[in-house]
Amino acid sequence: MKDTAKKKNGNRGELYTPVMARILDVADMTSDVKLIKVERPKDFSYSPGQFLMASVWGAGEVPISITSTDGVHKEIELCIRKVGLVTSALHNLKRGDLLGIRGPLGNRFPIETALAKDILFVAGGIGLAPLRSLVNFVLARKSDFGRVAIIYGSRNPSEVLFKDDLRNWAEKGMDITVTIDRKAEGWKQHVGLVTEFLGKQNIPIKEGYSFICGPHIMIKNVMRDLTLMGMPTAHIITTLEAHMKCGVGKCGHCYMDGKYICTDGPVFGYTALKKSGAFKT
Amino acid sequence: MKGDLVLSKAHLSYWLRQLRKEADLIAPLRSMAGDIVFSSVENIHDIVADCPANLPSPKEFLFPQMDEMYRFSPKGVERPAKNQKRVIFGIRSCDMSAVGLMDTFYGGRYEDDFYVERRKNTFFISIACNRPDPSCFCIGLGTGPFLKEGFDIQLTDLGDRYMVQVGSTKGRQIIKGFDHIFRRPKKADYDDQYEANLSCQSKFEKRITLENVRQKILAGEVPDSFWEGVASRCFQCGGCVYQCPVCTCFNVVDWKETAEKGVRMRTWDACMFKGFTKMAGNVWPAEKVATRTKRWYSHKLLHWPEQSGKFGCVGCGRCGVTCPGKIDMATVATRLEKKD
Repeated sequence: MKDTAKKKNGNRGELYTPVMARILDVADMTSDVKLIKVERPKDFSYSPGQFLMASVWGAGEVPISITSTDGVHKEIELCIRKVGLVTSALHNLKRGDLLGIRGPLGNRFPIETALAKDILFVAGGIGLAPLRSLVNFVLARKSDFGRVAIIYGSRNPSEVLFKDDLRNWAEKGMDITVTIDRKAEGWKQHVGLVTEFLGKQNIPIKEGYSFICGPHIMIKNVMRDLTLMGMPTAHIITTLEAHMKCGVGKCGHCYMDGKYICTDGPVFGYTALKKSGAFKT
Repeated sequence: MKGDLVLSKAHLSYWLRQLRKEADLIAPLRSMAGDIVFSSVENIHDIVADCPANLPSPKEFLFPQMDEMYRFSPKGVERPAKNQKRVIFGIRSCDMSAVGLMDTFYGGRYEDDFYVERRKNTFFISIACNRPDPSCFCIGLGTGPFLKEGFDIQLTDLGDRYMVQVGSTKGRQIIKGFDHIFRRPKKADYDDQYEANLSCQSKFEKRITLENVRQKILAGEVPDSFWEGVASRCFQCGGCVYQCPVCTCFNVVDWKETAEKGVRMRTWDACMFKGFTKMAGNVWPAEKVATRTKRWYSHKLLHWPEQSGKFGCVGCGRCGVTCPGKIDMATVATRLEKKD
C-alpha cells in the first residue's frame, strides 16, 4: 500500500535515472532559443507548471519547464535558451537523437482556484515558456473561465517567442498585449515594461487572478504593483527558477527560506512568498 | 536473544572477526599521519575503540564524498552496484543520531536510492560516549552521549566489558548465533552503566540549548546585521559543511574519460561556496556571504525543526574544531543565547 503511494507521488525506484526519449523536432525560435519536441514516454502525464530535468550524458542535467500542455500537445515541448554548458549541449541535439528526461517534477499551477474567474497572465522573456502550458490549458477549457488576457514583454522584437501561439490565442478571444522594452524600427505594438500595462486589460484587478513568470526583478515588481492596485495576494501566483542538480529536494541548491523550489514549487503563491520573507517589497 | 547483554572485552575481537567474514568492517583506525579515521579494517587489533569523540564522522560510508552514479558509453548506461554489506563499529551517539536525520532526509516521498541501498546494507555498532571533547554539546540536544533509540547495537564501556543494548532488527541480526559470548547483565553491570553515563554527562564543557536560540530567531530578535557580523569572519572554506554529519548537499558532474564514455558522479557540495546558487542569466539568490551563513544556520535551527521536529545539528562540535573564523554552531548559538 505504502509502496503504491510512493510510486504514484514520487520516484519509481531509480530517482536519478533519466528516461531516454526520442527528439522528434528541433526548431529555432530566436538566435539563442530552440524549441525541442520530444516523444512522450508512455507513463509521462503532467500538469501546467511542472518541469523536468533534461539530461545529456557527458554534459549534465538542467531543470527545464515543460511548455507544452498534456491533452493539447502530443509531444513534450521544451523551450531552451542557450546559456551554459548543458543548454549548449541541448542545442547541439538533432531530430532523431535521444534526450534524457526525468520527471515530471514539481507542483503545478493551482488553476482550479481561478475557475469561472478572469485571468491575467504576465510573462517576461522566456518566462512565457512555463505560462504557455497553462494558457493553452485554460484556452482549451475557455468556457470554464472568465475573461483571459496576457501581457508579454520582450527585450526587442527579435526575441518575441511563440508568435504562432500568440496569434492563435488572439483568435480564441484572449486579450493580448505584446510589448518590447525600447522603441525599435518597424515595431508597431506596445513599448514599455510589462508593469506599465497592468490594469489596462479588461480584467478587473480586484477579482481577477494573475499568473506571472519572467526575470526575478519583473516578478517582484509585478507582484508588488498588482497588490497595490488591489489584487488580493492569494490571487497572485508565480513560478520560480533556481540552480538545481536533482529536482527532487536532495541536492540543496534550490533551497530558499525553508522551501525547496523543486519540490515545494516551482509554483508559489504570493501569500506564501511574502510569509517566507522572499520577495520583500 | 532479547533484552540487554554483556560482552567481555576479551570477546570483542572474536565477534568482530566473525562479522567481518560476511561484511566489510569499518572502524576507527590510526592513519599513517597519526590521526584516527574510520577505515576498512584489515587487522582487528588496529581498531582504536577508545578513540576521541571528534574524529571525522563516518558519513562518507553512506554518502561518499565522490559517488559514481552512472557510467555511460555508446553501449548504454550502467549503474555500479552498491550492495556491499558493511558493519560500522565505533560510531558515536551523535553521529548515529545524524544517520537518523539523514534517513529522514534521504527517505520520504522521494527516496534517494543510492543512499537507501547503502543504508540497507549497513549495520552499526555504536559506542555510548564516555570521553566528550571540549567542543561537544550533544547533551543539550538529546543526541548523545548515549542513546535511548535509533541505534542497531549500542555498547557502553564498563572497563573490562561492554553493556550491549540491541535497538533494532539489524542489531538482532548481528548478535544472532553468538549466544556463547554474550551473557545477561547483573545488577552490578547496570550500576556500572549508570556510573559511566553519569560520569560522562559531568564531563561536558559546553551547555547549549538550541531551542532558546530558535525562539530568539523566531521572535525576530536576530537582525541581519548579526549574520553580516558572522559573515565577516567566514572564510567560505566549506569546512563546517564537509565536517557536519547532517549536511547532505551535493553537486552532480559528468566526467568524460574519453570523447564518448564517462561517469556521472555526485560530490559533496557546500552552500558556503559562492557559486552554489548561481543561475543562468546571472541571477544569484545567495551571492552575499551573509545570505549564505544565515541560510546554513536557518536550515539547521529553523527549517529542520519545522519539517521533522528535530534540529539539523547533533552537537558533535566538529564545526567548532574546523572553523578558522570561530563562527561555528556552538559559538554562534552561545552568542545568540546570551544576546539581549
